[in-house]
Amino acid sequence: MSEVIALDPYRPYPGCYDELVDGNGVARPQALSVARFIMQNGAEELARRQAELDRTISAMGVSFTVYSDSQNIDRAWPLDVVPRTIAASDWQRTSDGLKQRLQALNLFINDLYNDQKILKDGIVPSELVLKSKNFLAPCQGFEPAYKVWANICGTDLVRDGEGNFLVLEDNLRVPSGVSYMLENRTVMKRVFPELFAKSTIGPVDDYPAQLWNMLASLSPQDEETPRVVVLTPGIYNSAYFEHSFLAQQMGCPLAENNDLYVDDDRVYLRTLHGPQRVDVIYRRIDDTFIDPQVFRKDSALGIPGLIGAWRAGNVAIANAPGSGVADDKVIYAFVPEIIRYYLKQDPLIDNVPTYLCMDDKERDHVLANLDKLVVKPANESGGYGILIGPRATDEERAQCAAAIRENPRNFIAQPTLNLSTAPTLCDDLLEPRHLDLRPFILQGESLYCTNGGLSRVALRRGSLVVNSSQGGGSKDTWIINHGS
Amino acid sequence: MLARVAENVYWMGRYLERMDDTARLINATTHMLIDSHEGTRFSWPVLIDVLGEDTEGFVQEGSSSELGVMHYLIVAEDSAASIRHACTQVRNNARCVREVIPREFWEGINSLHLFVQSECKLASSRAKRYNLMAEVIRRCQAVIGVMDGTMLRDDTYGLFNIGRHLERADMTTRIMDVLILQQLAPAAGRQTRRQFEWSSLLNAMGAVESYRRYFTEEPGETDVTDFLLTYGPFPRSVASCLEKIERSARWLPRSEGVLKTIGNIRNALDSEPLHSLNTLGMHKLIDDVQAGLIDLHGALISESLQAPAA
Repeated sequence: MSEVIALDPYRPYPGCYDELVDGNGVARPQALSVARFIMQNGAEELARRQAELDRTISAMGVSFTVYSDSQNIDRAWPLDVVPRTIAASDWQRTSDGLKQRLQALNLFINDLYNDQKILKDGIVPSELVLKSKNFLAPCQGFEPAYKVWANICGTDLVRDGEGNFLVLEDNLRVPSGVSYMLENRTVMKRVFPELFAKSTIGPVDDYPAQLWNMLASLSPQDEETPRVVVLTPGIYNSAYFEHSFLAQQMGCPLAENNDLYVDDDRVYLRTLHGPQRVDVIYRRIDDTFIDPQVFRKDSALGIPGLIGAWRAGNVAIANAPGSGVADDKVIYAFVPEIIRYYLKQDPLIDNVPTYLCMDDKERDHVLANLDKLVVKPANESGGYGILIGPRATDEERAQCAAAIRENPRNFIAQPTLNLSTAPTLCDDLLEPRHLDLRPFILQGESLYCTNGGLSRVALRRGSLVVNSSQGGGSKDTWIINHGS
Repeated sequence: MLARVAENVYWMGRYLERMDDTARLINATTHMLIDSHEGTRFSWPVLIDVLGEDTEGFVQEGSSSELGVMHYLIVAEDSAASIRHACTQVRNNARCVREVIPREFWEGINSLHLFVQSECKLASSRAKRYNLMAEVIRRCQAVIGVMDGTMLRDDTYGLFNIGRHLERADMTTRIMDVLILQQLAPAAGRQTRRQFEWSSLLNAMGAVESYRRYFTEEPGETDVTDFLLTYGPFPRSVASCLEKIERSARWLPRSEGVLKTIGNIRNALDSEPLHSLNTLGMHKLIDDVQAGLIDLHGALISESLQAPAA
């Protein structure tokens, strides 16, 4: 007989899948240990642990940066005390689906910069790719190691009302957030040691080693240990915390552009003891900024000659410049077809249904249903520029409609989803809050997917916006093996 | 290590040591006052003198009261001599070099910074201030302990140590010099207070007991100035600091200039028996040592830490 624990008085929103309980507020099997802890210790103890957790985060210096009034402000990273639990059996299929997706996307990118078979076969409209500002001509005719362009991918997943994982978007340029996934776990282990002792929670802490192994596998040199560096725009960048964290955890130098230079198509690091050859660069700078000789001439963050060294095969860059061509929200709509085309497999994870405004019929549908849809610009990140139809004012909808008519290629629309929720501590009470999930997938010589990922939670009641720059929080994500 | 961040590591060491030294100095001075007789005139701005800031400007601003000086030395964010300022510098520099320091060390610095930000307020009572300074010292020592127990003995560790010991040697000579200058000033009643001042100095360095043992065990006509300048076994003596700097500097590239300035300072210290120097001669010697430390800093920054041209 399995144990039945109701998380009273907590009740999920009707129509939304809750990660911890079913529609009656009864804990799901993978959430039993967490539910037991909550019911035995009460909200007061949870609040005490939350305070302890906040203190730990401050002491660990886990922060994120928000830009406000042209100033950078460091804020303590927000982490909710209640973990999100996912059954290992659920996760296995999802993780396979994520690897499948990245594999197909990489075949796609490599095809676009070389033979363009998929365009010739009419699976993806040529002009969609060739006119995209993310299609970087200087990358054509090149094949990186293993023909893999996007080595690090952060895929945003949501669950629909039935609890099915759907892909919301692929981040193939410089996806961030993995450091917070790692730090969330470190903090939770300090604050809830007893829960870790009682459950089988999938570990996440091998990520830095996996990342380094993947990066090292890209090295063009055969000999010894390759020299891998992390390239950051500098301490004023909003993700600097993560850059320095990953460099520290991998044991790599954290370089700014001026720490690197190119001589005779080889890249060197300026160290105290003289120049050192660099084999692999994990760039955390947008690709159009990395070489002023090839891309943006005005870039003060770039390394002149870097693309030349890359094309000469003397240094690997991850993610490869030009990878962004596949993380366009219009291309996104074609990913299921892309998977079928290259892998001859059905996608293991579905997309969120998506309307393309470039299609006349679909655009008419979007314009007629703006009050029901979420409209997204094709090329923004961080949740900026999104219109959530049902919550927008008439004026905002009118502005959005005009923008769509002006440049239909730049917009997609999706139905407003009932994002899944999880109990979240709000003013000392547990309330449902919407969340998403960003796992990180690595591809070099082999494929790897994190155990879970970074769960981001919208802290305002009913809100769907999970971005930390816009008031979102986070949860530790536990992949739980609870037996059969 | 990257040439760009080498200086950050060095400054991190200097500012951490400065925090610790400043807190010690404040407590020692306060203790001296508690010991001294009612009505003894002691001017608080002397502390600002020690820390190398412009006393005259400060006194003219009318903040020469005990509380005014303490504000300046503990709380004021805009004062280059304050503990709070030094702590902010420690953390800013650490943030730039986080990839080369262990997690525990980073967390230690971060906790120290949080503590200083929230607790380093102007204490109205001397007792409270004493406890606050004692806590600052304890926490600085905790950070240094973590570093000692976790860090690779590499360039980063070496530079951090050079920064710490250069700052420490500098502080030792500054404190000495101010006391010596006080003796030069022809104010009444100085002579009877002199021993108070020297013992407060030893107190600031946690060295009262060590000095007693040195005094009773070492042969010859040595005195407190020998102890502070040349006695190797005492970890805050100039000689001990130079030895530690030298040991770390040997591993640095282009360290000839640094090693040479260390030799120059040693020569100055060894040129004649210290106890034979009168007050003026002692002042001159301290000046030479301080000039030597400035040269050492210059050689480090402009030679060792400059990346060689590609």
